[in-house]
Amino acid sequence: MAVFNLKNREIECKIVYYGPGRSGKTTNLEYIFKTYKKQVADQMVTIDTEGDRTLFFDFLPMGLGKIKGCDVKVQLYTVPGQVQYSSTRKLVLKGADGIVFVADSFSIRREKNMLSLKDLDQNLKECGLSIFRVPLILQYNKRDVGGSIPIMSIEMMQNDLNKQLKVPYYPASALTGEGVGATLKECMKLTLVRLQKEFKWAQ
Amino acid sequence: MSIKEQVKSVLREAETYRTQGLFNEAMVKFKYASELIEKNVKPENSRLLIEGITKKIELLKKTISKYNDPEKPPEMPVEIQNLIKEKFSFSTDKESAALDGAIALTKFGQFDRAIKEFKELLKMESFRLVAAKNILRCYFASSSSSSSAKAAVSQYKEWLPPGLFTSGQLEKIKVFLENLLKEKGVEIKLPAVKEEVAAKNAPDKAMPATKPLIEMPESEEEEEEFLDISSVGIILETGGKKHPELIMDVSFQSGNMVSLIVPLREKLLIENLKAGLKLNHVQFYSPIAILNGSGVVSAFTRIGSGPKMGNYSLDLKMFTN
Ligand SMILES: Nc1nc2c(ncn2[C@@H]2O[C@H](COP(=O)(O)OP(=O)(O)O)[C@@H](O)[C@H]2O)c(=O)[nH]1
Ligand SMILES: [Mg+2]
Repeated sequence: MAVFNLKNREIECKIVYYGPGRSGKTTNLEYIFKTYKKQVADQMVTIDTEGDRTLFFDFLPMGLGKIKGCDVKVQLYTVPGQVQYSSTRKLVLKGADGIVFVADSFSIRREKNMLSLKDLDQNLKECGLSIFRVPLILQYNKRDVGGSIPIMSIEMMQNDLNKQLKVPYYPASALTGEGVGATLKECMKLTLVRLQKEFKWAQ
Repeated sequence: MSIKEQVKSVLREAETYRTQGLFNEAMVKFKYASELIEKNVKPENSRLLIEGITKKIELLKKTISKYNDPEKPPEMPVEIQNLIKEKFSFSTDKESAALDGAIALTKFGQFDRAIKEFKELLKMESFRLVAAKNILRCYFASSSSSSSAKAAVSQYKEWLPPGLFTSGQLEKIKVFLENLLKEKGVEIKLPAVKEEVAAKNAPDKAMPATKPLIEMPESEEEEEEFLDISSVGIILETGGKKHPELIMDVSFQSGNMVSLIVPLREKLLIENLKAGLKLNHVQFYSPIAILNGSGVVSAFTRIGSGPKMGNYSLDLKMFTN
Protein backbone atom coordinates (compact mmCIF):
# COMPACT_ATOMS: atom_id res chain seq x y z
CA MET A 1 0.00 0.00 0.00
CA ALA A 2 1.95 2.98 -1.22
CA VAL A 3 1.84 6.07 0.90
CA PHE A 4 1.86 9.39 -0.95
CA ASN A 5 2.70 12.66 0.58
CA LEU A 6 1.88 15.01 -2.23
CA LYS A 7 2.80 18.14 -0.37
CA ASN A 8 6.36 17.02 0.25
CA ARG A 9 6.30 14.99 -2.96
CA GLU A 10 7.18 11.74 -1.29
CA ILE A 11 6.20 8.19 -2.13
CA GLU A 12 6.75 5.22 0.05
CA CYS A 13 6.08 1.79 -1.39
CA LYS A 14 6.31 -1.78 -0.26
CA ILE A 15 8.03 -4.66 -2.01
CA VAL A 16 7.71 -8.17 -0.69
CA TYR A 17 10.13 -11.01 -1.39
CA TYR A 18 8.09 -14.18 -1.57
CA GLY A 19 9.04 -17.80 -2.18
CA PRO A 20 9.53 -21.18 -0.59
CA GLY A 21 11.59 -21.55 2.56
CA ARG A 22 15.35 -21.41 1.98
CA SER A 23 15.16 -20.08 -1.54
CA GLY A 24 17.34 -17.09 -0.64
CA LYS A 25 14.99 -14.23 0.23
CA THR A 26 16.89 -13.15 3.31
CA THR A 27 20.16 -13.49 1.40
CA ASN A 28 18.80 -11.10 -1.26
CA LEU A 29 18.09 -8.46 1.36
CA GLU A 30 21.43 -9.03 3.04
CA TYR A 31 23.20 -8.44 -0.24
CA ILE A 32 21.21 -5.28 -0.90
CA PHE A 33 21.96 -4.08 2.59
CA LYS A 34 25.69 -4.63 2.12
CA THR A 35 25.88 -3.23 -1.38
CA TYR A 36 23.61 -0.22 -1.47
CA LYS A 37 24.82 1.38 1.73
CA LYS A 38 24.04 4.88 0.55
CA GLN A 39 20.42 4.11 -0.16
CA VAL A 40 19.77 2.05 2.92
CA ALA A 41 18.09 4.28 5.43
CA ASP A 42 18.43 2.33 8.63
CA GLN A 43 19.52 -0.98 9.91
CA MET A 44 18.19 -4.06 8.33
CA VAL A 45 15.87 -5.80 10.73
CA THR A 46 16.09 -9.54 10.63
CA ILE A 47 13.60 -11.03 12.94
CA ASP A 48 14.88 -14.50 13.41
CA THR A 49 15.88 -16.47 16.39
CA GLU A 50 16.87 -19.85 15.07
CA GLY A 51 20.12 -19.36 13.28
CA ASP A 52 19.44 -18.41 9.71
CA ARG A 53 15.81 -19.33 9.74
CA THR A 54 13.38 -16.50 9.16
CA LEU A 55 10.66 -17.02 11.70
CA PHE A 56 8.79 -13.86 10.96
CA PHE A 57 10.06 -11.44 8.37
CA ASP A 58 12.97 -9.26 7.36
CA PHE A 59 12.59 -5.56 6.90
CA LEU A 60 14.85 -3.20 4.99
CA PRO A 61 13.88 0.42 4.33
CA MET A 62 15.63 2.24 1.48
CA GLY A 63 15.65 5.71 0.01
CA LEU A 64 16.05 5.79 -3.75
CA GLY A 65 16.35 9.53 -4.07
CA LYS A 66 14.44 11.72 -6.50
CA ILE A 67 12.58 10.11 -9.37
CA LYS A 68 10.54 12.45 -11.58
CA GLY A 69 10.60 15.09 -8.90
CA CYS A 70 9.43 12.76 -6.20
CA ASP A 71 11.34 11.44 -3.25
CA VAL A 72 10.95 7.68 -3.52
CA LYS A 73 11.25 5.42 -0.53
CA VAL A 74 10.81 1.70 -0.57
CA GLN A 75 10.45 -0.83 2.17
CA LEU A 76 11.60 -4.36 1.44
CA TYR A 77 10.12 -7.28 3.31
CA THR A 78 10.63 -11.02 3.20
CA VAL A 79 8.02 -13.52 4.24
CA PRO A 80 8.70 -16.65 6.25
CA GLY A 81 8.58 -19.45 3.69
CA GLN A 82 7.73 -22.34 5.96
CA VAL A 83 4.29 -23.75 5.51
CA GLN A 84 3.39 -23.32 9.15
CA TYR A 85 3.74 -19.55 9.11
CA SER A 86 0.91 -18.99 6.71
CA SER A 87 -0.90 -16.44 8.83
CA THR A 88 2.11 -14.19 9.31
CA ARG A 89 2.94 -14.61 5.64
CA LYS A 90 -0.43 -13.19 4.73
CA LEU A 91 0.07 -10.27 7.08
CA VAL A 92 3.44 -9.41 5.56
CA LEU A 93 2.08 -9.65 2.02
CA LYS A 94 -0.79 -7.31 2.73
CA GLY A 95 -0.44 -3.97 1.06
CA ALA A 96 2.45 -5.01 -1.20
CA ASP A 97 2.95 -2.74 -4.22
CA GLY A 98 5.38 -5.09 -5.91
CA ILE A 99 6.54 -8.66 -5.45
CA VAL A 100 9.76 -10.52 -6.11
CA PHE A 101 9.23 -14.26 -6.21
CA VAL A 102 12.50 -15.97 -5.33
CA ALA A 103 12.50 -19.50 -6.71
CA ASP A 104 15.07 -22.13 -5.80
CA SER A 105 16.98 -23.57 -8.75
CA PHE A 106 17.63 -26.86 -6.97
CA SER A 107 15.77 -29.60 -8.86
CA ILE A 108 14.79 -31.08 -5.55
CA ARG A 109 12.82 -27.93 -4.72
CA ARG A 110 10.83 -27.92 -7.92
CA GLU A 111 7.49 -28.74 -6.43
CA LYS A 112 8.03 -26.41 -3.46
CA ASN A 113 8.53 -23.53 -5.90
CA MET A 114 5.23 -24.29 -7.56
CA LEU A 115 3.37 -24.70 -4.31
CA SER A 116 4.71 -21.41 -3.06
CA LEU A 117 3.67 -19.62 -6.25
CA LYS A 118 0.24 -21.11 -5.84
CA ASP A 119 0.19 -19.96 -2.23
CA LEU A 120 1.09 -16.46 -3.41
CA ASP A 121 -1.76 -16.54 -5.92
CA GLN A 122 -4.17 -17.63 -3.20
CA ASN A 123 -3.02 -15.05 -0.69
CA LEU A 124 -3.14 -12.26 -3.25
CA LYS A 125 -6.70 -13.23 -4.05
CA GLU A 126 -7.55 -12.97 -0.39
CA CYS A 127 -6.14 -9.44 -0.45
CA GLY A 128 -8.33 -8.69 -3.47
CA LEU A 129 -5.38 -8.70 -5.90
CA SER A 130 -4.63 -10.75 -8.96
CA ILE A 131 -1.26 -12.39 -9.55
CA PHE A 132 -1.64 -11.39 -13.20
CA ARG A 133 -1.97 -7.71 -12.38
CA VAL A 134 0.36 -7.10 -9.50
CA PRO A 135 3.91 -5.96 -10.41
CA LEU A 136 5.79 -9.24 -10.17
CA ILE A 137 9.32 -10.42 -10.98
CA LEU A 138 10.58 -13.97 -10.87
CA GLN A 139 14.09 -14.62 -9.68
CA TYR A 140 15.72 -18.00 -10.31
CA ASN A 141 18.21 -18.10 -7.49
CA LYS A 142 21.27 -20.15 -6.61
CA ARG A 143 22.53 -20.26 -10.21
CA ASP A 144 26.09 -20.36 -8.82
CA VAL A 145 25.57 -23.88 -7.56
CA GLY A 146 26.77 -26.53 -9.90
CA GLY A 147 28.87 -29.64 -9.93
CA SER A 148 27.16 -32.52 -8.27
CA ILE A 149 23.97 -30.69 -7.33
CA PRO A 150 21.18 -31.10 -9.86
CA ILE A 151 19.72 -27.73 -10.75
CA MET A 152 16.93 -26.93 -13.16
CA SER A 153 17.48 -25.22 -16.45
CA ILE A 154 16.06 -21.74 -16.90
CA GLU A 155 13.76 -23.15 -19.59
CA MET A 156 12.36 -25.66 -17.18
CA MET A 157 11.76 -23.04 -14.50
CA GLN A 158 10.15 -20.76 -17.04
CA ASN A 159 7.91 -23.60 -18.07
CA ASP A 160 6.99 -24.44 -14.49
CA LEU A 161 6.45 -20.97 -13.15
CA ASN A 162 6.22 -18.35 -15.83
CA LYS A 163 4.29 -19.99 -18.62
CA GLN A 164 1.08 -18.16 -17.87
CA LEU A 165 2.40 -15.20 -15.94
CA LYS A 166 4.94 -14.09 -18.56
CA VAL A 167 6.61 -11.64 -16.20
CA PRO A 168 10.24 -10.51 -16.27
CA TYR A 169 12.64 -13.05 -14.76
CA TYR A 170 16.25 -13.01 -13.64
CA PRO A 171 18.71 -15.82 -13.04
CA ALA A 172 20.55 -14.85 -9.89
CA SER A 173 22.86 -15.77 -7.10
CA ALA A 174 21.92 -13.95 -3.95
CA LEU A 175 25.11 -15.25 -2.41
CA THR A 176 27.41 -13.58 -4.94
CA GLY A 177 24.97 -10.78 -5.70
CA GLU A 178 24.56 -11.61 -9.35
CA GLY A 179 21.13 -10.54 -10.56
CA VAL A 180 20.09 -9.20 -7.18
CA GLY A 181 20.26 -5.53 -8.08
CA ALA A 182 18.70 -6.13 -11.49
CA THR A 183 15.78 -7.96 -9.91
CA LEU A 184 15.10 -5.17 -7.47
CA LYS A 185 15.48 -2.44 -10.08
CA GLU A 186 13.06 -4.11 -12.46
CA CYS A 187 10.56 -4.65 -9.69
CA MET A 188 10.86 -1.00 -8.64
CA LYS A 189 10.34 0.06 -12.23
CA LEU A 190 7.20 -2.00 -12.69
CA THR A 191 5.90 -0.85 -9.34
CA LEU A 192 6.42 2.83 -10.04
CA VAL A 193 4.87 2.52 -13.48
CA ARG A 194 1.84 0.86 -11.95
CA LEU A 195 1.58 3.50 -9.24
CA GLN A 196 1.89 6.19 -11.88
CA LYS A 197 -1.01 4.69 -13.81
CA GLU A 198 -3.12 4.56 -10.71
CA PHE A 199 -2.15 7.69 -8.89
CA LYS A 200 -0.36 9.92 -11.40
CA TRP A 201 2.28 10.87 -8.90
CA ALA A 202 4.94 11.98 -11.36
CA GLN A 203 4.89 15.47 -12.76
CA MET B 1 30.37 -43.85 -12.38
CA SER B 2 31.83 -46.34 -9.96
CA ILE B 3 29.86 -47.07 -6.80
CA LYS B 4 32.43 -45.18 -4.78
CA GLU B 5 32.04 -42.09 -6.93
CA GLN B 6 28.29 -42.40 -6.90
CA VAL B 7 28.17 -42.56 -3.11
CA LYS B 8 30.54 -39.64 -2.86
CA SER B 9 28.39 -37.54 -5.11
CA VAL B 10 25.20 -38.40 -3.23
CA LEU B 11 26.88 -37.51 0.05
CA ARG B 12 28.08 -34.20 -1.38
CA GLU B 13 24.54 -33.44 -2.40
CA ALA B 14 23.24 -34.33 1.05
CA GLU B 15 25.81 -32.06 2.69
CA THR B 16 24.89 -29.15 0.45
CA TYR B 17 21.21 -29.49 1.27
CA ARG B 18 22.03 -29.72 4.95
CA THR B 19 24.09 -26.54 4.96
CA GLN B 20 21.33 -24.76 3.08
CA GLY B 21 18.83 -25.74 5.70
CA LEU B 22 17.01 -28.14 3.40
CA PHE B 23 16.93 -30.81 6.07
CA ASN B 24 14.29 -33.13 4.68
CA GLU B 25 16.05 -33.19 1.33
CA ALA B 26 19.38 -33.90 3.04
CA MET B 27 17.78 -36.76 4.94
CA VAL B 28 16.52 -38.41 1.77
CA LYS B 29 19.99 -38.27 0.25
CA PHE B 30 21.81 -39.58 3.31
CA LYS B 31 19.44 -42.51 3.44
CA TYR B 32 19.92 -43.15 -0.23
CA ALA B 33 23.68 -43.12 0.23
CA SER B 34 23.58 -45.70 2.97
CA GLU B 35 21.25 -47.87 0.89
CA LEU B 36 23.70 -47.69 -1.99
CA ILE B 37 26.54 -48.75 0.25
CA GLU B 38 24.63 -51.56 1.89
CA LYS B 39 23.63 -52.99 -1.45
CA ASN B 40 26.97 -52.73 -3.14
CA VAL B 41 29.82 -52.79 -0.65
CA LYS B 42 30.92 -55.72 1.50
CA PRO B 43 29.91 -55.14 5.11
CA GLU B 44 33.48 -55.37 6.41
CA ASN B 45 34.49 -52.53 4.13
CA SER B 46 31.57 -50.26 4.79
CA ARG B 47 31.08 -50.37 8.55
CA LEU B 48 32.79 -47.08 9.32
CA LEU B 49 31.14 -45.24 6.51
CA ILE B 50 27.69 -46.49 7.44
CA GLU B 51 28.30 -45.50 11.05
CA GLY B 52 29.27 -42.01 10.01
CA ILE B 53 26.17 -41.61 7.89
CA THR B 54 23.95 -43.00 10.63
CA LYS B 55 25.31 -40.37 12.99
CA LYS B 56 24.51 -37.64 10.51
CA ILE B 57 21.01 -38.98 10.07
CA GLU B 58 20.45 -38.98 13.83
CA LEU B 59 21.62 -35.39 14.10
CA LEU B 60 19.39 -34.37 11.23
CA LYS B 61 16.41 -36.04 12.86
CA LYS B 62 16.96 -33.90 15.92
CA THR B 63 17.25 -30.75 13.86
CA ILE B 64 14.10 -31.58 11.93
CA SER B 65 12.02 -32.28 15.00
CA LYS B 66 13.18 -29.05 16.58
CA TYR B 67 12.34 -27.26 13.38
CA ASN B 68 8.87 -28.75 13.11
CA ASP B 69 8.09 -27.92 16.66
CA PRO B 70 9.41 -24.45 17.25
CA GLU B 71 9.06 -23.30 20.79
CA LYS B 72 6.68 -20.54 21.56
CA PRO B 73 7.97 -17.48 19.75
CA PRO B 74 10.26 -15.52 21.99
CA GLU B 75 9.35 -12.08 23.22
CA MET B 76 11.02 -9.69 20.79
CA PRO B 77 12.71 -6.40 21.66
CA VAL B 78 10.33 -3.48 22.11
CA GLU B 79 11.59 -1.70 18.97
CA ILE B 80 10.66 -4.69 16.87
CA GLN B 81 7.28 -4.99 18.52
CA ASN B 82 6.75 -1.32 17.74
CA LEU B 83 7.72 -1.96 14.16
CA ILE B 84 5.21 -4.80 13.88
CA LYS B 85 2.52 -2.68 15.45
CA GLU B 86 3.23 0.17 13.08
CA LYS B 87 3.83 -1.74 9.86
CA PHE B 88 1.02 -4.23 10.06
CA SER B 89 -1.87 -1.99 10.90
CA PHE B 90 -3.69 -1.07 7.75
CA SER B 91 -6.79 0.79 8.88
CA THR B 92 -6.83 4.48 8.25
CA ASP B 93 -8.55 5.64 11.39
CA LYS B 94 -6.35 5.71 14.43
CA GLU B 95 -8.43 3.54 16.70
CA SER B 96 -8.94 0.72 14.22
CA ALA B 97 -5.25 0.91 13.40
CA ALA B 98 -4.47 0.40 17.06
CA LEU B 99 -6.64 -2.70 17.05
CA ASP B 100 -4.90 -3.94 13.87
CA GLY B 101 -1.56 -3.41 15.52
CA ALA B 102 -2.51 -5.36 18.62
CA ILE B 103 -3.87 -8.21 16.52
CA ALA B 104 -0.67 -8.25 14.45
CA LEU B 105 1.32 -8.63 17.66
CA THR B 106 -0.67 -11.73 18.55
CA LYS B 107 -0.04 -13.17 15.12
CA PHE B 108 3.65 -12.80 15.70
CA GLY B 109 3.27 -14.48 19.06
CA GLN B 110 3.98 -11.36 21.09
CA PHE B 111 1.25 -12.06 23.58
CA ASP B 112 2.44 -10.11 26.61
CA ARG B 113 2.87 -6.95 24.60
CA ALA B 114 -0.44 -7.57 22.84
CA ILE B 115 -2.24 -7.82 26.18
CA LYS B 116 -0.83 -4.40 27.05
CA GLU B 117 -2.12 -2.97 23.79
CA PHE B 118 -5.55 -4.55 24.17
CA LYS B 119 -5.78 -3.16 27.69
CA GLU B 120 -5.28 0.30 26.24
CA LEU B 121 -8.10 -0.42 23.81
CA LEU B 122 -10.42 -1.30 26.71
CA LYS B 123 -10.60 2.43 27.31
CA MET B 124 -12.40 2.85 24.02
CA GLU B 125 -16.09 2.08 24.19
CA SER B 126 -16.30 0.76 20.67
CA PHE B 127 -13.47 -1.76 21.02
CA ARG B 128 -14.04 -2.76 24.61
CA LEU B 129 -15.64 -6.13 24.06
CA VAL B 130 -13.38 -7.19 21.24
CA ALA B 131 -10.33 -6.15 23.24
CA ALA B 132 -11.54 -8.09 26.27
CA LYS B 133 -12.02 -11.26 24.26
CA ASN B 134 -8.60 -10.90 22.72
CA ILE B 135 -7.01 -10.43 26.11
CA LEU B 136 -8.51 -13.70 27.27
CA ARG B 137 -7.29 -15.48 24.15
CA CYS B 138 -3.80 -14.10 24.64
CA TYR B 139 -3.67 -15.56 28.13
CA PHE B 140 -4.48 -18.95 26.69
CA ALA B 141 -2.01 -18.67 23.88
CA SER B 142 0.86 -17.48 25.99
CA SER B 143 1.30 -20.28 28.47
CA SER B 144 0.24 -23.73 29.55
CA SER B 145 -3.47 -24.27 29.92
CA SER B 146 -3.62 -24.50 33.71
CA SER B 147 -1.77 -21.28 34.43
CA SER B 148 -3.41 -19.51 31.51
CA ALA B 149 -6.84 -20.58 32.72
CA LYS B 150 -6.02 -19.12 36.11
CA ALA B 151 -4.87 -15.85 34.64
CA ALA B 152 -7.91 -15.59 32.39
CA VAL B 153 -10.37 -16.38 35.15
CA SER B 154 -8.84 -13.88 37.53
CA GLN B 155 -8.96 -11.30 34.75
CA TYR B 156 -12.65 -12.04 34.30
CA LYS B 157 -13.27 -11.65 38.01
CA GLU B 158 -11.50 -8.33 37.93
CA TRP B 159 -13.90 -7.16 35.22
CA LEU B 160 -17.03 -8.31 37.07
CA PRO B 161 -17.73 -5.30 39.29
CA PRO B 162 -19.99 -2.82 37.50
CA GLY B 163 -18.25 -0.01 35.79
CA LEU B 164 -16.20 -0.92 32.77
CA PHE B 165 -18.57 -3.36 31.06
CA THR B 166 -22.34 -3.54 30.83
CA SER B 167 -23.87 -6.74 32.14
CA GLY B 168 -24.76 -7.69 28.58
CA GLN B 169 -21.10 -7.44 27.62
CA LEU B 170 -20.05 -9.38 30.69
CA GLU B 171 -22.44 -12.17 29.76
CA LYS B 172 -20.79 -12.38 26.37
CA ILE B 173 -17.34 -12.40 27.89
CA LYS B 174 -18.44 -15.15 30.26
CA VAL B 175 -19.72 -17.35 27.45
CA PHE B 176 -16.56 -16.67 25.47
CA LEU B 177 -14.34 -17.64 28.39
CA GLU B 178 -16.41 -20.73 29.13
CA ASN B 179 -15.86 -21.88 25.58
CA LEU B 180 -12.14 -21.27 25.79
CA LEU B 181 -11.97 -23.25 29.02
CA LYS B 182 -13.97 -26.08 27.50
CA GLU B 183 -11.69 -26.14 24.47
CA LYS B 184 -8.72 -26.55 26.77
CA GLY B 185 -10.47 -29.14 28.88
CA VAL B 186 -10.33 -27.04 32.02
CA GLU B 187 -13.27 -27.28 34.40
CA ILE B 188 -13.82 -24.10 36.35
CA LYS B 189 -17.18 -22.67 37.23
CA LEU B 190 -17.23 -18.95 36.59
CA PRO B 191 -19.01 -16.58 38.95
CA ALA B 192 -22.24 -15.29 37.45
CA VAL B 193 -22.74 -11.80 36.13
CA LYS B 194 -24.88 -9.58 38.38
CA GLU B 195 -27.98 -8.24 36.66
CA GLU B 196 -27.77 -4.53 36.26
CA VAL B 197 -31.18 -3.04 35.73
CA ALA B 198 -30.27 0.04 33.81
CA ALA B 199 -27.90 -1.57 31.41
CA LYS B 200 -29.82 -4.77 31.00
CA ASN B 201 -31.58 -3.77 27.88
CA ALA B 202 -28.86 -1.62 26.49
CA PRO B 203 -28.03 -2.80 23.01
CA ASP B 204 -24.59 -4.15 22.66
CA LYS B 205 -22.71 -2.24 20.05
CA ALA B 206 -19.27 -3.07 21.20
CA MET B 207 -18.54 -5.85 18.80
CA PRO B 208 -17.86 -4.58 15.30
CA ALA B 209 -19.36 -7.25 13.16
CA THR B 210 -16.70 -7.14 10.49
CA LYS B 211 -13.68 -7.34 12.76
CA PRO B 212 -12.40 -10.86 12.96
CA LEU B 213 -11.18 -12.12 16.24
CA ILE B 214 -7.51 -12.83 16.30
CA GLU B 215 -6.41 -15.83 14.41
CA MET B 216 -4.22 -18.02 16.47
CA PRO B 217 -1.01 -19.13 14.81
CA GLU B 218 -1.77 -22.06 12.61
CA SER B 219 -0.96 -25.64 13.27
CA GLU B 220 2.72 -26.17 13.41
CA GLU B 221 2.70 -29.48 11.69
CA GLU B 222 3.82 -29.29 8.16
CA GLU B 223 0.94 -30.71 6.31
CA GLU B 224 1.39 -32.16 2.90
CA GLU B 225 0.14 -29.80 0.28
CA PHE B 226 -0.81 -30.66 -3.24
CA LEU B 227 -1.47 -28.41 -6.14
CA ASP B 228 -5.02 -28.34 -7.39
CA ILE B 229 -4.95 -30.41 -10.51
CA SER B 230 -7.50 -29.49 -13.13
CA SER B 231 -6.69 -32.14 -15.70
CA VAL B 232 -4.43 -35.10 -16.18
CA GLY B 233 -2.69 -36.33 -19.29
CA ILE B 234 -1.87 -40.01 -19.53
CA ILE B 235 0.62 -41.42 -21.99
CA LEU B 236 -0.04 -45.13 -22.14
CA GLU B 237 2.74 -47.55 -22.94
CA THR B 238 1.92 -50.97 -24.32
CA GLY B 239 4.47 -53.44 -25.60
CA GLY B 240 7.18 -50.78 -25.50
CA LYS B 241 5.11 -48.42 -27.65
CA LYS B 242 4.05 -45.01 -26.39
CA HIS B 243 0.55 -43.91 -27.35
CA PRO B 244 -0.52 -40.30 -27.78
CA GLU B 245 -1.31 -38.39 -24.63
CA LEU B 246 -4.93 -38.51 -23.55
CA ILE B 247 -6.07 -35.59 -21.43
CA MET B 248 -9.00 -35.90 -19.04
CA ASP B 249 -10.55 -33.47 -16.60
CA VAL B 250 -10.37 -34.07 -12.88
CA SER B 251 -13.78 -34.60 -11.39
CA PHE B 252 -12.61 -34.79 -7.81
CA GLN B 253 -9.36 -34.41 -5.92
CA SER B 254 -8.39 -35.27 -2.40
CA GLY B 255 -4.73 -34.77 -1.56
CA ASN B 256 -2.69 -36.69 -4.07
CA MET B 257 -5.64 -38.76 -5.24
CA VAL B 258 -7.52 -37.60 -8.34
CA SER B 259 -10.64 -39.02 -9.91
CA LEU B 260 -11.13 -38.88 -13.66
CA ILE B 261 -13.85 -39.97 -16.01
CA VAL B 262 -12.57 -42.13 -18.86
CA PRO B 263 -14.97 -41.92 -21.80
CA LEU B 264 -16.24 -45.18 -23.20
CA ARG B 265 -14.60 -44.45 -26.57
CA GLU B 266 -11.09 -44.66 -25.09
CA LYS B 267 -10.92 -48.37 -25.77
CA LEU B 268 -7.17 -48.64 -25.40
CA LEU B 269 -7.13 -47.15 -21.92
CA ILE B 270 -10.13 -49.16 -20.83
CA GLU B 271 -8.54 -52.37 -21.98
CA ASN B 272 -5.28 -51.69 -20.22
CA LEU B 273 -6.10 -49.94 -16.97
CA LYS B 274 -6.47 -51.98 -13.84
CA ALA B 275 -6.02 -51.35 -10.15
CA GLY B 276 -2.39 -51.40 -9.13
CA LEU B 277 -1.07 -50.50 -12.58
CA LYS B 278 1.73 -47.98 -12.55
CA LEU B 279 1.64 -45.34 -15.26
CA ASN B 280 5.09 -43.99 -15.90
CA HIS B 281 4.21 -40.97 -17.99
CA VAL B 282 1.55 -38.74 -16.53
CA GLN B 283 1.26 -34.99 -16.74
CA PHE B 284 -0.68 -33.11 -14.10
CA TYR B 285 -2.08 -29.79 -15.23
CA SER B 286 -2.76 -27.18 -12.61
CA PRO B 287 -3.88 -23.63 -13.31
CA ILE B 288 -0.34 -22.39 -12.77
CA ALA B 289 1.90 -25.23 -13.78
CA ILE B 290 2.31 -28.55 -15.46
CA LEU B 291 3.92 -31.28 -13.42
CA ASN B 292 5.49 -34.34 -14.90
CA GLY B 293 5.11 -37.48 -12.92
CA SER B 294 3.70 -40.89 -12.64
CA GLY B 295 0.57 -42.42 -11.24
CA VAL B 296 -0.73 -45.59 -9.75
CA VAL B 297 -4.24 -46.75 -10.54
CA SER B 298 -6.02 -47.13 -7.26
CA ALA B 299 -9.43 -48.01 -8.67
CA PHE B 300 -10.86 -48.43 -12.13
CA THR B 301 -14.53 -49.18 -12.38
CA ARG B 302 -17.40 -48.90 -14.77
CA ILE B 303 -19.94 -46.28 -13.75
CA GLY B 304 -23.23 -48.07 -13.21
CA SER B 305 -25.67 -45.21 -12.81
CA GLY B 306 -26.16 -41.47 -13.25
CA PRO B 307 -25.46 -39.24 -16.22
CA LYS B 308 -22.00 -40.73 -16.81
CA MET B 309 -23.27 -44.28 -16.83
CA GLY B 310 -21.32 -46.62 -19.06
CA ASN B 311 -18.12 -44.61 -18.84
CA TYR B 312 -15.33 -45.50 -16.49
CA SER B 313 -14.16 -43.89 -13.31
CA LEU B 314 -10.44 -43.85 -12.66
CA ASP B 315 -8.91 -43.05 -9.29
CA LEU B 316 -5.27 -42.23 -9.70
CA LYS B 317 -2.67 -41.65 -7.04
CA MET B 318 -0.25 -39.05 -8.30
CA PHE B 319 3.46 -38.85 -7.89
CA THR B 320 5.29 -35.85 -9.22
CA ASN B 321 8.93 -35.80 -10.23
N1 LIG C 1 24.89 -21.26 -3.21
C1 LIG C 1 23.93 -20.41 -2.93
N2 LIG C 1 23.33 -20.45 -1.74
C2 LIG C 1 22.37 -19.56 -1.47
C3 LIG C 1 21.96 -18.57 -2.42
N3 LIG C 1 20.97 -17.84 -1.87
C4 LIG C 1 20.77 -18.34 -0.63
N4 LIG C 1 21.61 -19.37 -0.38
C5 LIG C 1 21.71 -20.19 0.85
O1 LIG C 1 20.46 -20.82 1.06
C6 LIG C 1 20.14 -20.86 2.43
C7 LIG C 1 18.81 -20.22 2.68
O2 LIG C 1 18.86 -18.84 2.34
P1 LIG C 1 17.92 -17.75 3.00
O3 LIG C 1 18.25 -16.43 2.40
O4 LIG C 1 17.96 -17.84 4.50
O5 LIG C 1 16.51 -18.26 2.49
P2 LIG C 1 15.06 -17.70 2.82
O6 LIG C 1 14.42 -18.75 3.67
O7 LIG C 1 14.40 -17.61 1.49
O8 LIG C 1 15.19 -16.38 3.50
C8 LIG C 1 21.28 -20.19 3.15
O9 LIG C 1 22.16 -21.17 3.61
C9 LIG C 1 21.94 -19.33 2.07
O10 LIG C 1 23.31 -19.14 2.29
C10 LIG C 1 22.63 -18.56 -3.68
O11 LIG C 1 22.36 -17.75 -4.57
N5 LIG C 1 23.60 -19.49 -3.88
MG1 LIG D 1 14.52 -15.80 5.36
